[in-house]
Amino acid sequence: MAKILEGPAMKLFNKWGIPVPNYVVIMDPDRLAQLGEANKWLRESKLVVKAHEAIGGRFKLGLVKLGLNLDEAYLAAKEMIGREIGTSVVHQVIVAEMLDHDEEYYVSIAGTRDGSELLLSSKGGVDIEDNWDTVKRLFIPLDENPSIETITEAALEAGFVGEIAERVAKIASRLILCFDDEDAQSIEINPLVIRKSDMRFAALDAVMNVDWDARFRHADWDFKPVSEIGRSYTEAEQQIMDIDARIKGSVKLVEVPGGEIALLTAGGGASVFYSDAVVARGGSIANYAEYSGDPPDWAVEALTETICRLPHIKHIIVGGAIANFTDVKATFSGIINGFRESKSKGFLENVQIWVRRGGPNENQGLAAMKKLQEEGFDIHVYDRSMPMTDIVDLALNS
Amino acid sequence: MSILANKDTRAVIIGGLAGLNAARRMAQFDFLINRPLTVQAFVYPPEGGQQKEIYRGGELNNVTVYSSLEQALEENPQINTALIYIGASRAYQSAKEALDAKGIKLVTMITEGVPEKDAKRLRKHALECGKIFNGPSSIGIMSAGECRLGVIGGEFKNLKLCNLYRPGSFGVITKSGGLSNEAMWLCAQNGNGITSAVAIGGDSYPGTDFVTYLNMFENDPDTKAVVIIGEVGGTLEEEAAEWLGKEIRRIKVIASIGGTCQDVLPQGMKFGHAGAKEGKKGLGSARSKISALRAAGAVVPDTFGGLSKAIRQVYEELLKSGAIRPEAELDEKLLPALPPSVQEVMKQGDIIVEPLIRTTISDDRGEEPRYVGYAASELCEKGYGIEDVISLLWNKKLPTREEAEIIKRIIMISADHGPAVSGAFGSIIAACAGIDLPQAVSAGMTMIGPRFGGAVTNAGKYFKYGVKEYPNDIPGFLNWMKENVGPVPGIGHRVKSVKNPDKRVKYLVDYVTNQTTLHTPCLDYALQVEKITTAKKDNLILNVDGTIGCILVDLDFPEYSFNGFFVLARTIGMIGHWIDQNNQNSRLIRLYDYLINYAVKEEREVPEKK
Repeated sequence: MAKILEGPAMKLFNKWGIPVPNYVVIMDPDRLAQLGEANKWLRESKLVVKAHEAIGGRFKLGLVKLGLNLDEAYLAAKEMIGREIGTSVVHQVIVAEMLDHDEEYYVSIAGTRDGSELLLSSKGGVDIEDNWDTVKRLFIPLDENPSIETITEAALEAGFVGEIAERVAKIASRLILCFDDEDAQSIEINPLVIRKSDMRFAALDAVMNVDWDARFRHADWDFKPVSEIGRSYTEAEQQIMDIDARIKGSVKLVEVPGGEIALLTAGGGASVFYSDAVVARGGSIANYAEYSGDPPDWAVEALTETICRLPHIKHIIVGGAIANFTDVKATFSGIINGFRESKSKGFLENVQIWVRRGGPNENQGLAAMKKLQEEGFDIHVYDRSMPMTDIVDLALNS
Repeated sequence: MSILANKDTRAVIIGGLAGLNAARRMAQFDFLINRPLTVQAFVYPPEGGQQKEIYRGGELNNVTVYSSLEQALEENPQINTALIYIGASRAYQSAKEALDAKGIKLVTMITEGVPEKDAKRLRKHALECGKIFNGPSSIGIMSAGECRLGVIGGEFKNLKLCNLYRPGSFGVITKSGGLSNEAMWLCAQNGNGITSAVAIGGDSYPGTDFVTYLNMFENDPDTKAVVIIGEVGGTLEEEAAEWLGKEIRRIKVIASIGGTCQDVLPQGMKFGHAGAKEGKKGLGSARSKISALRAAGAVVPDTFGGLSKAIRQVYEELLKSGAIRPEAELDEKLLPALPPSVQEVMKQGDIIVEPLIRTTISDDRGEEPRYVGYAASELCEKGYGIEDVISLLWNKKLPTREEAEIIKRIIMISADHGPAVSGAFGSIIAACAGIDLPQAVSAGMTMIGPRFGGAVTNAGKYFKYGVKEYPNDIPGFLNWMKENVGPVPGIGHRVKSVKNPDKRVKYLVDYVTNQTTLHTPCLDYALQVEKITTAKKDNLILNVDGTIGCILVDLDFPEYSFNGFFVLARTIGMIGHWIDQNNQNSRLIRLYDYLINYAVKEEREVPEKK
């Protein structure tokens, strides 16, 4: 799942003939004045200025300003660019034409196992959740394009009438093409607006997710997906992502501020169960982490050091299932080096470490880990005979 | 009994190195249960025509790599299963081709990062063909005592620990690869092991689902209970619950679902697997899955750790009801051990291998090369130079500073002698013919011999002999040489003479005798010899080969290393000439007619062949 920002989404809409308002994305407010000279719509329309960043709740944060003229838009852009929101900084704003409109509609499409599902409602806008029962669903089987008649019929059932139904169906059919050809996972247009005087439609706001795994066949994807965790990545997360991109196998990290139990767990499946066990036993996790696919020991070492630096942690759970091919001895040597390095830097004071793991070279790996006791680590090491997540119970009961 | 993979399974692996590693792991299982090799062929166009070495125990098999699946199947019609190990961008095409192949019934894909649309299409295509497409992102399929597809089950030791050499009574279906292995272990530790275990992969739209395999297990009389390990995202677990609740099922279902922690994590946060994401309004949440499964009658412990107890409980119930009859455990000692490699046995000290070669000078088995014990980087750090390395590798000791300086100067003085001499000229001709550096330099190198540069060793050798056998009798030495060897190596020059001395010789002799404290009996002896020979003929001077040879004797280098100084030094020059010719873009050269005396027969007619 890769969410993309409005700018790139609008560009893809344009490509597939889905009407969008005029817009520009800028990093420098002064650029707006120049663009104003070149573009009539910037001078003559009411404008909306929005921070073009993956920041949730932009409206409340004052990162969306409506109904502006060009001068006001310039001031709004100037005010927003460079603003720091938590760990994020606003680098770009999108300035779009605020289309005067008569009605707001809802159109979305999302993938399902057998194809996709088109959702239409003539009662779009901010109240769509309350009008959810008006939404008409149309299932689209994989690799099939519904006829315009079929879509029009669905539009009529969704409460659209006459020419508007036909036009909405046309837009929806293009949306289906865009969804299919751009390897999208979901596209939600809310609202799709209409100005009836000239029957002009525009997708005023849209959220689009594309399948990042399909990027190898999209040469024109010049964007990057935005953070998937509802906030910008922290520096530590970014560092681990950079390592992840370079290695065989993977290392992953998400920080959860305020938690006491740090996770240094292996495997995409097992790591989730460890998080669950902490929560189920009333603990609070300080992070989610995972290494898998037999990553090099230095990458695991970097992940370990990052985790040891998490503030206020009381336990570190070095957990994992019985690996199929990840070498326990090699990955543990990375973890051990990370622990030693962290301890020499003054971390791991009063932190208990709990280990459970199996897999290739498990005996050597576990023995090496156990030897850390001699170096003054508060470490508890268990082999495969310990039920996987029970070290969490031990940690929380200690 | 088992599902999906059994004793009749014969597989082709489509992909490169990862596929080869899987084939080797699979062959270990084949060896454990004494079945024929599961992998019969590879398909990987870049390596088409090659053969890969696969050990089944101690038996070496050569498995062919084909350029196309069609060809592989034509020559191996017994293949009924395909394993996809190829990269994500080509995985769809490979899997589709495999599904379209007549004899192939099962396609399982380990490739990760496959676009969702491709996976959806493959699932649809498999359904239309009435075949199974398992994966993407599947670690594989294991049928205890029958067949292993992929690296599922991990290392050889684990196959035994999980009792995978013989069937048990539990089925396993997981999304996660690592947890499939864990689940097999749990079934062996707390029950009697598995019949089959399948990893369906953690993608959003796997080709199969829990229900597909639950139905198969339901129809497999040996499977009495199934362990399902699912996670947040999608509705496959809900569908499994629906299947279970729909009618009375023969098999018991034990489940564990990951992702309940999502409530406290940052909203929208993604977990390890691509498919592990909650939908809108809590759709596909771990909690809703757990409730659905519990409501349908599945045993769902509150943490993964609770699975041990749950499996044991179900196993004991099944034993009690008579559904499972306890069987005598196989003595694990009777199971074959994987033949160790020679290296492993040597480590344990159970075998002596006579080494093929012996070295006394260097060792790179550690973090960096060591020359006669000294780490290369430490030599650099402590200010030693290439002359010290030469001494270490050729004479196994660190020279004194004076000795090192002499070695350095010998190399410097001998590095080149212009383009006209045989060695440089040979390299230049080769360079002009477009020959690459190593070959062009060796063209020059082949010139080094008795007439050019190769006299150092013999010169040193015979002067040393003279010092020893004829210490105060130079005429006696010369006489012995005349009778036994011929001209004295190291004496004589084509153009230089007493009146026109060789500057290099003069310099070296002067430097070694006047500016160092080196004791030089051999050089002194050679200079005495020169006095006598030049009295006979003006050009019978001590030449540079002789000088260097004598100095090297005095430096106590081994005799047969002497020519090495010339070879090493002149290599620097020859490389220089090669670079120089290339810099100038030199053209192919040939000798002009006027430089050749054509002392040949006159033109004449070839007689008729008889």
